[in-house]
Amino acid sequence: MTPSLLRPDQPLRLVDTYPPSAPARQAIIRVEDLSIVFDAPSGQVIAVDRVSLAVAQGEFVSIVGPSGCGKSTLLNAMAGLERPFEGQVLIAGEAMRKPRPEIGMVFQQPHLFPWKSVRRNIAHGPRALGKPKAEALRIADDLIEMIGLTGFASAYPHTLSGGMQQRVAIARALANQPRVLLMDEPFGALDAQTRAVMQDNLLELRERINATIVFVTHDIDEAILLSDRVLIMSAGPGRILKDLQVSLPRPRSSAIVAEAAYLALKRDCLDLIRSEGRRAFEQMEIRM
Amino acid sequence: MSVGRRSSASATARLSVLVAVLSVPIFTGVWELVARSGIVNTVLFPPPSTVAVAILEWIRSGQFFADLMASLSRVAAGFAIGAAGGIVLGVLTGRFQLVSSLLSPLFHILRPIPPIAFVPIVILWFGLSETGKLFLVVWGVFFTVWLATHIGVQKVDHGLIRAAQMLGTPQPQMLWEIVLLGALPYITVGLRTAVSISFYTLVAAELAGAFAGIVYRIEIAQQNMQTGQVMGGLAALGLLSFIADRSFATLAERAVWWR
Ligand SMILES: Nc1ncnc2c1ncn2[C@@H]1O[C@H](COP(=O)(O)OP(=O)(O)O)[C@@H](O)[C@H]1O
Ligand SMILES: [Mg+2]
Repeated sequence: MTPSLLRPDQPLRLVDTYPPSAPARQAIIRVEDLSIVFDAPSGQVIAVDRVSLAVAQGEFVSIVGPSGCGKSTLLNAMAGLERPFEGQVLIAGEAMRKPRPEIGMVFQQPHLFPWKSVRRNIAHGPRALGKPKAEALRIADDLIEMIGLTGFASAYPHTLSGGMQQRVAIARALANQPRVLLMDEPFGALDAQTRAVMQDNLLELRERINATIVFVTHDIDEAILLSDRVLIMSAGPGRILKDLQVSLPRPRSSAIVAEAAYLALKRDCLDLIRSEGRRAFEQMEIRM
Repeated sequence: MSVGRRSSASATARLSVLVAVLSVPIFTGVWELVARSGIVNTVLFPPPSTVAVAILEWIRSGQFFADLMASLSRVAAGFAIGAAGGIVLGVLTGRFQLVSSLLSPLFHILRPIPPIAFVPIVILWFGLSETGKLFLVVWGVFFTVWLATHIGVQKVDHGLIRAAQMLGTPQPQMLWEIVLLGALPYITVGLRTAVSISFYTLVAAELAGAFAGIVYRIEIAQQNMQTGQVMGGLAALGLLSFIADRSFATLAERAVWWR
């Protein structure tokens, strides 16, 4: 029995089938009028300001915005790690009040369990969900192969490079066969070269797993390269400024950055962010 | 020039090793000479040779082994109980605000009282029984381990806990695997401090009245003016707690095996 998250027999798509228009498909994630407020020493901070969005089953959506605009907070709310102040997050029709194992998460830091080998780190989720040890380890071994770390199964995290650790973190999140995978700047702490390799890895991985992916980044190139749809957030209080379809053909690779359609999209994004940045800056000046 | 400097540096290093090796023999030799010179009273300040004879006699009589086992079992049992209690309650107070609000104020009031100060009340409660001695050692060990665990638990990488939550880790596993192992580097520091504390409290416990034990033997020898035996007992106690500390340090390094 191979775990069902692998679909190695599925042919790679050579034509653009992505994305079927979002409303036509069932939305698996619904964020409805979500606001999240933190108590800070200087008073209340609105981290997320009345955000609504929907993500269709199987879609890859990126959320882009300057740092501090509330991306992590929004994603944490989708994960059930942060309580809504107002509004709600529905995943598969159910409100997120606490983490659920069918929602996986990859953080900016790998946060691997330092006392566990690669294999045991990946097997942690299935074990926690009560799968027998042998089955959990089999799932781990399959994933180790998938992320290209065969031979490192019994290595401890501190002996691995940052990129390898992050691949283990992705495998660990996939081990529970999540319906939704949330990724919070997963490549943000890696050097440019490793990041490019990881992006290509993720594109490949994407073809083989069933999960809907929400990917947070502040890197527009990364967002366009990976996603079916890019949501651009404004500088704090976090709101969604723009919802852009990326109808570039798949499969993609980092070579895409030279194509005209790509460049046009990127220009749109940059213009938007620049004008938004100016607006935020002017607002700040007025306040001062 | 640089070669010359390097070779003079290595000469200094070699000399310091030599001095370190000779340190104890030189000290013992001077002690022997001073004690035999007639400047001091050898009854109160016997030479090392007399101490050695006393130690050999102690071992030959079979009492040494009985004393050693009596002391060692008090320290070991007290340490085990105190450490286990400290770790369990430290995890609970470190992780649950409500448990912490309930217990931490109490622990913070009791903790600074030197365990030795409890000797009188322990005698009232337990007489000269083993339970009383165990109580003192447990008391001394518990607060140190509790505080180290409590602080360690609060310093556990929050990302690790979130990652575990996202993977569906059930609460018991969260506490006794993620939180406990996450805090282990702090806990081992607390445990090592507690090793020395367990020996301090052993001294208090045996001085309060015992029927066997290394400190008990020291006290008896003192009453009989057997100064050599007193010093022999001190040496044995020093060696024992040194070995305990060293082997615990090694053990602690292994315990945090992922570093
Ligand atoms: N736990 C918290 N307590 C107080 N303020 C917070 C907390 N988490 C985030 N914030 C604030 O909320 C805003 C959004 O943070 P975050 O979601 O981390 O931004 P991003 O991930 O886009 O960089 C920031 O102003 C940040 O300072
Ligand atoms: Mg962030």
